Amino acid sequence: MKNKMILFLGLFLATSVSVLAQSETISPARKQAIDSLALEKVKDLSKYVSIIGSKETQFSEANRVMDRAEELFSPGAEMGVSSINTNEIAYYKIRRYFERLMALNYDRVNITWYDIQYISDLERQPDGRYVGVVTVYQRFEGTSIETGMTYKDTTKKDITIYVEKKQTQIAGRTIEFWDVMLGDVRVTETSA
Amino acid sequence: MRIVTFIFAMFIASISIVSGQGIGSPGTIKDDGRFAASTKQLNQFFRRFNAEESPTDGNVRYYPGDTAYHSVSLRKGFLQILFDNQTSSISPDLKTQFINTVLSPNYPHYLNFHREGWYAEVQADFMYKGKKESATIILKIQPERLGHEWVIDEVSFPPFKNLFDKPVGDRKDFLHPLSHELGFMNLRRAFQDSDSPEAYTETSFKPDYLTLFLYEMKQNNLRYQTVTDVKFHFFQIEGWYFEVNQFNRPGFNTGWLISNLVKLNPGDKETIQKYIYDQN
Repeated sequence: MKNKMILFLGLFLATSVSVLAQSETISPARKQAIDSLALEKVKDLSKYVSIIGSKETQFSEANRVMDRAEELFSPGAEMGVSSINTNEIAYYKIRRYFERLMALNYDRVNITWYDIQYISDLERQPDGRYVGVVTVYQRFEGTSIETGMTYKDTTKKDITIYVEKKQTQIAGRTIEFWDVMLGDVRVTETSA
Repeated sequence: MRIVTFIFAMFIASISIVSGQGIGSPGTIKDDGRFAASTKQLNQFFRRFNAEESPTDGNVRYYPGDTAYHSVSLRKGFLQILFDNQTSSISPDLKTQFINTVLSPNYPHYLNFHREGWYAEVQADFMYKGKKESATIILKIQPERLGHEWVIDEVSFPPFKNLFDKPVGDRKDFLHPLSHELGFMNLRRAFQDSDSPEAYTETSFKPDYLTLFLYEMKQNNLRYQTVTDVKFHFFQIEGWYFEVNQFNRPGFNTGWLISNLVKLNPGDKETIQKYIYDQN
């Protein structure tokens, strides 16, 4: 994780001088770099979701991964979940959502992701932070050995990303970099 | 027309299948083109409408100066797939007229996220005095400090509907024109004896339902539950109104799509707005 952080710091520093000079607009190159960072975070989340959902993951390990997954999110983030059969949305705090995922009563759980994603424009909020939405698709398969039944669904996940310029000290120098935090996630069951 | 749509969708599908830019690389599922074709976000609706992204999965963005940016041929293809082609009854002729207006060589029309002329209509459930009630909330984008925000413009809430049913004609009570000479002692008629105190308001009186709604919320009489539906109304294309809804169904014609299209005659815009805002 640390190596990844350094890599992205380097990536952002490479273009930071030109961008700092142009007030707070985000150039296409910067947007692309932020998109990559956002996708990294979403990838991390996907990996964590798969580990938490897997029955092979021990309880203590699942809890450790849940902590890591929670760190990706800004405080107070929620999951809003709906299914095809109802237009009502159930809301869960991130931690609660992971706990529910871990407690699923399937002997085999397989979570995979489609090779398609969409990243919105970044819009500036009143507080100066930028906000965007990353859309990804997830395939869930849960099998119960006792009943021999397999439950399958494909969900669309619209994940809020908050993009903020931050500062850090490296070797006594103040370095500015852009950080991405995940926010509320809307989970919609699709008919695929 | 359907053939063009199909060809465009297949074009999107064929390119996306080889793109291989999944989020988790090994073990990811190849999209058969349906998710790539879907207009996944309203943001993508804007970008496709204006031709500001690639006709693949939208991963390549076009900016001013790029040859494909706002390209007419690209827009033509995108516009065909931005309509709900399965359930809506928009005639092919009306659609063609709209597309011709939008792509007019002398005066092409684009959608602008930050410009006025579009808003969201949200259905949300509330508990009001122990009963579940649905409210229609109209929201719009406005500038605020360093950026923008969605703000509540108006609310329509059935329990308030007949709350201010101002009587007219002979049924309407009034304060006689010399009430001032008695120090308005007859105000009791309005505030004490009457079930319709609104009868004593000026002709142009209009209840402010949003204020009332917020007041009830502050009094803990109204508790938010959940959002049940979202749609968008657009008046940004001069002389036209269209509605955008989300379609979650099998196939290639899914996501945020135009479900209703109206060519506006003089006065139509106000009529439609009045209908959407439901403030009668």
